[in-house]
Amino acid sequence: MKQRIFIILTLLLFGAMVLAACGGGQAEPTEAPAPTKAPEPTQAPEPTQAPEPTKAPEPTKAPEEKKFSVGMVSDIGGIDDKSFNQTAWKGVQDAIEKLGIDGTFLESQQQTDYEKNINEFLAQGKDLIITVGFLLSDATTKAAEANPDAHFAIVDFPSTAPNVQGMLFNVTEATFLAGYLAAGMSETGVVCTYGGINIPPVVDFMVGFQNGVEYYNEQKGADVQLLGWDNETQDGLFTGNFESTDDGRRFAENLFDEGCDVILPVAGPVGLGSAAAAQERGLMIIGVDTDQYVSAPEFADAWLTSVLKNMDVAVFDTIKSAMEGNFKGGDNYIGTLANNGVGLAPFHEFEDKVPDDLKAELEQIKQDIIDGKIQVK
Amino acid sequence: MTAITATSSTISLAEQKERRRAMIYGLFFLGVAAAIFFLFVLNTNAELVSTFKLNPATKQKIVEIPPLKLPSRTTLIILGLLVAALGVYQMVRRFERVNLALGVVLLFFVAAFLVWATRGKSISLLGIFTFTVAAATPIGFAALSGVMCERSGVINIAIEGQMLAGAMLAVVGSSLTGNKYIGLAAAMLVGGVLGLVLAVLAIRFLVDQIIAGVAINIFSIGITSFISQRYLQPIPELNSGGVLPKIAIPGLSQIPLIGPVFFNQNMVVYLLFASVILIHFMLWYTRWGLRTRAVGEHPRAADTLGINVFKVRYINVIIGGMVAGVGGSYFTIGSVGRFDELLTAGKGFIGLAAMIFGRWTPLGAYAASLIFGFSDALQAKLQVLGQAQVPIPSEFLLITPYVVTMIVLAGVVGRTIPPAADGQPYVKE
Repeated sequence: MKQRIFIILTLLLFGAMVLAACGGGQAEPTEAPAPTKAPEPTQAPEPTQAPEPTKAPEPTKAPEEKKFSVGMVSDIGGIDDKSFNQTAWKGVQDAIEKLGIDGTFLESQQQTDYEKNINEFLAQGKDLIITVGFLLSDATTKAAEANPDAHFAIVDFPSTAPNVQGMLFNVTEATFLAGYLAAGMSETGVVCTYGGINIPPVVDFMVGFQNGVEYYNEQKGADVQLLGWDNETQDGLFTGNFESTDDGRRFAENLFDEGCDVILPVAGPVGLGSAAAAQERGLMIIGVDTDQYVSAPEFADAWLTSVLKNMDVAVFDTIKSAMEGNFKGGDNYIGTLANNGVGLAPFHEFEDKVPDDLKAELEQIKQDIIDGKIQVK
Repeated sequence: MTAITATSSTISLAEQKERRRAMIYGLFFLGVAAAIFFLFVLNTNAELVSTFKLNPATKQKIVEIPPLKLPSRTTLIILGLLVAALGVYQMVRRFERVNLALGVVLLFFVAAFLVWATRGKSISLLGIFTFTVAAATPIGFAALSGVMCERSGVINIAIEGQMLAGAMLAVVGSSLTGNKYIGLAAAMLVGGVLGLVLAVLAIRFLVDQIIAGVAINIFSIGITSFISQRYLQPIPELNSGGVLPKIAIPGLSQIPLIGPVFFNQNMVVYLLFASVILIHFMLWYTRWGLRTRAVGEHPRAADTLGINVFKVRYINVIIGGMVAGVGGSYFTIGSVGRFDELLTAGKGFIGLAAMIFGRWTPLGAYAASLIFGFSDALQAKLQVLGQAQVPIPSEFLLITPYVVTMIVLAGVVGRTIPPAADGQPYVKE
């Protein structure tokens, strides 16, 4: 009797740990290359999304030659967040496809995973470790200082060490356009935004958004209100997390009740909850990071547009130059409207609903920002 | 002189203690009144008006009611005076149910806070209430699940895990069959199965119930994250369950204020209302309820009277699991229509706190859930009003629900008495 208890409990706990480990770590545990097997050319049964290594368009490369290997550490929210982790991963996938590199990712389930995941890639001897997100900056800096020979690149954070390349985006330029658009599209005269956590990469979106709304008011003599952010106090509405999609729904309903009809959620997957609420009420949501009309088509009629932060372009370029031996450690890549690092996605279902005048004005503003006629921020 | 005091103090030691306690309460009430005056009244201009909107923003046919326009300062002065009056009464005459008075005082304080925060602005009061009901739904299910299990003497700490599994199965079931109600049934089923696992471990194998519950939680987090990454991410067709439609109950949903808040909800929310009432009735007015409570209080005595203790516990723990499973379905098909890892975000544990706050009764547990939901709604509203109105950083506002949990558990509730045999395995002699 007593023994059976132990056997059952042990099995249960063991099973739980195995599954927890699988769930928390590699997305494709069976396909994850074990460090010992790594140098073998027959290895690398890459994730299903990746093409077979034999198809790699690098015919000049000898099969014995070790491929350029990239490890990406995602932030909380998951690799399929249909938002920023996913976009960054797309950059790696593009590199796998076009440059024939060897790329894998590790998901962070919680903030304590950052260091663990980075160390895992260090142990595997990756040629370049890409960390996605502001929140990973401490862990990345620490790892970079401890391993001066390893190469790092961090999304959304400036370089902090000679072996770290930063990737920054002037999203304020793009959200300026989004703010102008939202103000122009709002029927109620109230537009809203909310964020995940009050940190610079999130706040940048909101700052630009407010500037855009204010610019609209200035130009048109209108009085469109913005709820959820205030440049003066640098504080606003935050969910406090990037996971709870139900929060996204309730926050959106909360804002709709205050008369909003356009919301810009800056909280990764949480925004999907807002999209569900907007769809139900026939109101508008502006996506962030990637064209969410494409990545979350189930809410197709709710996406007015998306503020693009083309991290895939940045990540791809970074990998490419690192592979060619031009790793820009200590330097930053900066995405702008001019180099297409940031921008607005197409209107898709709203193509006919956005007035032509407004479209023309947006084009003009975009050009003015690129030419420096409008100073953003 | 000294002799007299000595005797009088020995006579009325208990009485004196009682009196001191009453005085402390009274002073606290007066302190609250002072806070209303100094923090709110003095910071409010006389001409400002607080406007509370009472109509839903959605375009549905309801009886429109005019918004509540309150002159901010006058309202605050009235609220402050009311609280002060309660404090004076408490010091002079003493309330018989002082906790009730405390509740009223806190309610007035919150109302004053809202009026002050809204000075010169307008917010949707109805929005606060709908937010409250939505936020209270998963917490309420978790609390009810806890009541079901603990009333029969089994601690269910695995509610979080049961909800997580329920959330996932609901969306998968709904995606596969295209019928959201099948998703709901699947969630109930998987919750029941995890309940059964807990029951077998706790009742048959006498495993420490806390440890068994924690093991189920870890298992559930692991397996849902694994399935999510392995299957739900590559195959979006598995993860698009849709959202249950809102069903407006004819007649009732037309009642101003109450209608849109309670009677224009989806099936999951109605199921919660029904479960609260049903379980309340079952626990207190049926033979099954009497047996459950007997088993939870004194299993040996129940056994000698011919009640099958094991059977009662098995049934209760399984039903408790099913309730938690349905609660989990709220997160997916009740709200967003898709599963994301760890989306329950600790609501199962807050539910346990609500159960204790509600003194192991279904109605109390749901009322407690509403309080937690309200604190969540309040902080979201205050953040929307912005720093100019409420000069508290958003980071502090965000911790409100957790602070409320602690205050409620430590302060207002004080000592509560769980079922006597709660957490104790029963061994037949």
